[in-house]
Amino acid sequence: MAFELPPAVYSPQLVESVIYDVQYYLDWVRQNQIRAKVGAKPKAEPNHSDETVLVIEAWLAGKPPTLESIEALLEHLRQLKLPEVHITLAALPNRAQRETLVSWFRNNASPQLLVSFVADRNLGGGIVVRTPNHVYDYTWKQELVAGRDKLAGIIKRV
Amino acid sequence: MIELILAGALAFVLAVIVVVQNQQLSILRRQHHTDTSNTGPKVTQPTATELEAKLKAAYEAKITESVTTFGSDLQATSRRLSEQVSRLTTTVIEEELEAYQKTLEQVRKSATEAMGQIHQAVEHQRVELRQGMEAELAAEKKALADKFDTKLGDIVSSYISESLGSGVDLGAQMQFILTSLEAHKADIRKDLLDGV
Repeated sequence: MAFELPPAVYSPQLVESVIYDVQYYLDWVRQNQIRAKVGAKPKAEPNHSDETVLVIEAWLAGKPPTLESIEALLEHLRQLKLPEVHITLAALPNRAQRETLVSWFRNNASPQLLVSFVADRNLGGGIVVRTPNHVYDYTWKQELVAGRDKLAGIIKRV
Repeated sequence: MIELILAGALAFVLAVIVVVQNQQLSILRRQHHTDTSNTGPKVTQPTATELEAKLKAAYEAKITESVTTFGSDLQATSRRLSEQVSRLTTTVIEEELEAYQKTLEQVRKSATEAMGQIHQAVEHQRVELRQGMEAELAAEKKALADKFDTKLGDIVSSYISESLGSGVDLGAQMQFILTSLEAHKADIRKDLLDGV
């Protein structure tokens, strides 16, 4: 079965964070193996983010973790090339709003999709979607600019 | 003026003639006296007086005739001279007047042409100025309208964002956002899949 990123890992930054955590964890494992050989005191296990834990669990799929399997996960994550979409909103979305938007994109565009969020309060409202080849602007600002003739007409009538 | 000069000249000539005749008469008397005293025949006093009277009368008649003739000639000459002077004066004045009129006409023509050219230049300048001002005005108006159009969206969105402040409610916008995404779902999907 093909590995799929858990929904919580939705952005390129989170993927990078997971890669960093896994790499750190592998280094910790290798160092501890060397320490065990020389009889040194092992270091404490490093903390992982929730997303890293979710990715590792999804990768292992119930199997016990081995050094090889974790290395394979790291290699897989590094070679991962997923479509990315950048979203600009009037404010940064909260968790629920973020999940709503990510699930919409994954359900309607591509299941393995990375989404990054940016806030720009000058938009007033709406959304800007930047794909690799296009920018879809559905903001209030764009609506106002597109409807400037209406506004000019209203101003003239007034 | 010329007549005065001519009258003076006539008087001078007559005076000269009288002097010359008196001189000749004196010479003749002396010769006659010499002749009669020397060798000529003797003339009686009455005869001599008569002869002298006759000679004087003939002399005076001749002088009168000469004066009359000379006066007539002088009058005629004077009249011709006056006519000539008058004619010359009239001709000169006419020529001068004609030249003056020609010059005046040329000056008037030149002035009229210059005025016409100035008028044309002023009119041309006025038209150019008006066209330039109208064009500038139209350009300025268009620039202002374009600027207004360009900035309209920014102005309104800035006003909205300033008015909303930090209280942007994405939850209230979510339905609008999802509706917009649904409307362009196919395009977004195609673009994302093509970009991989």
